[in-house]
Amino acid sequence: MTMVKKVLHLLFLPCSEATLLMEKRNAQAISSKENWKLSMHLMICKWCKMYNKKLALLDTLFKKTLSEKESEIKESDIQDFKNRMIEKLDF
Amino acid sequence: MMKNEVLKNWIEQYSEPLLKKAFYLLSDKEEAQDIVQDVFIAAFSSYDSFGGKSQPLTWLMAILKRKVADFYRKKYRSEPNIRLDHFFDETGSWKNNDVLNDWNAAGKESELLDDQDFNKTLEECMEELPSRWKILLKMYYIEEKKAPEVSQEFNVSTTNLWKILQRSRMQLRECLEFNWFSRL
Repeated sequence: MTMVKKVLHLLFLPCSEATLLMEKRNAQAISSKENWKLSMHLMICKWCKMYNKKLALLDTLFKKTLSEKESEIKESDIQDFKNRMIEKLDF
Repeated sequence: MMKNEVLKNWIEQYSEPLLKKAFYLLSDKEEAQDIVQDVFIAAFSSYDSFGGKSQPLTWLMAILKRKVADFYRKKYRSEPNIRLDHFFDETGSWKNNDVLNDWNAAGKESELLDDQDFNKTLEECMEELPSRWKILLKMYYIEEKKAPEVSQEFNVSTTNLWKILQRSRMQLRECLEFNWFSRL
């Protein structure tokens, strides 16, 4: 990165903080001042601009998948669990 | 039906979905079993408040989420230590240029989600996250991104929640970059 760009970055907002503000914006928890700073940053920083696009894709993927997912467990482990549970609650 | 009979039926019917969900959230079989056991014990003792207003599984899943939050609060008391120096230099600028690679060639998200290999890669990348971050990330989406709620239930400040989401997502982006998008 050129020196000029580095200075510009620091003047507005470093990328390490811009990426944090993206999370806040993404959750609609960003203040208008932060939002402005982030928008300025995204205009001049191609790294964050691209990251922001990727983050939007990740967000869409997660919205569609993370809430429904479950992990596989062996049938025999489930059966063992049921037996232990019924024994434990003393039915 | 008697309470005991109902509970016994629930254990028969709902152990499987509860265990699978708990295992997904905690990534540990033993812990998943312990927590689902607690869910049934809690359901047994507060059965009178159930009242049949919702589906039993919905009610049990709600208890499970509360138990996961309890588990998290007990296990992770200290402030999380989130470092970004893997990604950014001392001025806070990106260290590597791989973030600039274009993902558009990879197709739309609907196509990605239909691709089993992609889903597998995504899951593997997810499993590499420290469990502390992973639980929060999953719960954040399960709770429909309601940050104040997640922050309160899990007793993390919203600032730390943003940091954990940021750090997790940076790592996932990088993992997908190397293991999926750059290989296409």
